[in-house]
Amino acid sequence: MMTRRKIDYRSLIKRDRIHASLYTDPDILADEFDKLFSRGWVYVGHVGEIPNPGDFRLKKIGRQPVIMVRDENDDVRLLLNRCRHRGSTVCQLEAGNAKTFRCAYHGWTYRNSGELAGVPYQEGYGGSLRKEDLGLVPVPRMELYRGFIFGSLSPAGITLDDHLGAPAKQQIDLFVDLSPEGEIKVQAGIHKFDYPANWKFQLENAMDGYHPNFTHQSFLDMIQEQIGVRPDVFNGNSSGESRDLGNGHVMLDYRRYNREYAERIRSVLPTTPADEDYRGRMIARYGVERTAEILNAGGTHALIFPNLILIGVQIRVPQPRAVDHTEVTLYPTTLKGVSAELNSARLRGHEAFFGPAGMGQPDDVEMFARMQQGIQADIEPWILISRGIHREHRDDDGTLVAHATDEVTLRGIWSHYLKVMSSNTAASRISHAQSRRNPEAAIRRSAAEPGR
Amino acid sequence: MPLLPDFRRIENFLYREARLMDENAYEEWLSLWASENICYWVPTSENETDPGQQISIIYDDRKRLEGRIKRLASGYAFAQDPKSRMRRVISSIEINEAADGTFTTWSNFALGEFRRGKQDIFIGRTMHQLRPEGDSFKILLKKVLLINSDGYIDNLTFLL
Repeated sequence: MMTRRKIDYRSLIKRDRIHASLYTDPDILADEFDKLFSRGWVYVGHVGEIPNPGDFRLKKIGRQPVIMVRDENDDVRLLLNRCRHRGSTVCQLEAGNAKTFRCAYHGWTYRNSGELAGVPYQEGYGGSLRKEDLGLVPVPRMELYRGFIFGSLSPAGITLDDHLGAPAKQQIDLFVDLSPEGEIKVQAGIHKFDYPANWKFQLENAMDGYHPNFTHQSFLDMIQEQIGVRPDVFNGNSSGESRDLGNGHVMLDYRRYNREYAERIRSVLPTTPADEDYRGRMIARYGVERTAEILNAGGTHALIFPNLILIGVQIRVPQPRAVDHTEVTLYPTTLKGVSAELNSARLRGHEAFFGPAGMGQPDDVEMFARMQQGIQADIEPWILISRGIHREHRDDDGTLVAHATDEVTLRGIWSHYLKVMSSNTAASRISHAQSRRNPEAAIRRSAAEPGR
Repeated sequence: MPLLPDFRRIENFLYREARLMDENAYEEWLSLWASENICYWVPTSENETDPGQQISIIYDDRKRLEGRIKRLASGYAFAQDPKSRMRRVISSIEINEAADGTFTTWSNFALGEFRRGKQDIFIGRTMHQLRPEGDSFKILLKKVLLINSDGYIDNLTFLL
């Protein structure tokens, strides 16, 4: 492995401020790929993207190209998109359905379970090639929660359950339980955008309740004009909250605000027969009390560290490309067991704000570009994350809570980031992977002339 | 204005629309649209046929388009501060007249866009459905197929 200078993260991340180099130093991005995206759990995709056997979609875990596929036996698999012969990608299509993946270079063919099925002119390996050792390499660990598929490049580590923890799982539940069948569909298309700035700006911005009234003033003006009420959950005196759920998971919590303002909102939004039908189905599945809880939350607004953002109807995944280039993929979801009318309204609502031509998100992206430019002025390198530090407090459920506009969310992200980035797990993921699968031995065994 | 044959009048209309978009003449561009039952559609894929159940990049009815224009003109749409500087070429125009007197046109465009020191090129194909009105037309439907509609795009907040 390439050696890099050791970075002292404790000197860059303080409780109330962070250092600009965290967004500008290419060595730090390389370190993030090795630690954040390699040791712990990374969100990869949702089972709703691949509902049928053979369905696949290309994904990434850090820098690793991954095929997320449902094989012939209906098992979801995460396979590295890399031919075991010469390293070419074996799957080129972004998404589709396939029984096999065939490397075009020399014709090696793999089943959609990853097994190596065919090697042309196999006798050229002297009869010693062991196909069973040369399948597509699976991501060492994969676990699911409510259809959300997480992968880890490290074969050892905490379970997904421990990584998520109860408070974050509750937020995922609120997102999914808006469906009266308790399942979401992820088949409604994809929004993609990129921006010339660091990927962590997207994490922070998505969980920043201080910016909407300013960055999105023009959007809020438009809403006010069209429906007659101005959303004010991000006002300085609102009853909205921000929350640190632990392990880097954070959220903007509108539940208290929604409870107070439910009546006001109901009087503005029309209740259609479709709404009534939906409410009836929800109560049939969840009961009156839980239905009220789910509808009051209206989904969630949460970051599952390090790369899963759930906002409104969407699953959002930021992907670093370079220290100053980020790609973001948005998967709007629809709800199983819900009328086409309501699902269509979900999509139209999402579209108004999000996507590269949305009326909100591009203004955020503009701020990221401005920040990346601004922090080049680093003779004073510090960036503040101190808002609300004096008024955050421990809630009954153990989470740290503060006002909606407070930066308890950013502190939650950065304190966990510091923990992961400054830890020194001795064994690298590469040596783990080698010891587990022993590909060198497989290649030696299959080489025509062993013993190089 | 001398009476031009339909083809020339439609061509002129498309060129004028392109210029208004290039010059960020938001209100004037909006005035080219019919006053109701319109659709301004930029799908995420050429194969997208069911916008009811599929997300689009833009799928505006009249009300949302008015909101879009008002926002762009407000001075607080930061993704257009500074504004995009643009010129586009419209070409390969094909025109079909329908039985109800409306025209459906297909045309290609090549758009150069410059903003914050970076020049981007957008290429695509546009369908217009136009209704004759007076000596000009009103846009009923506009569908824009970008060749990179399923790629990562940083900013599409100008008019397409």
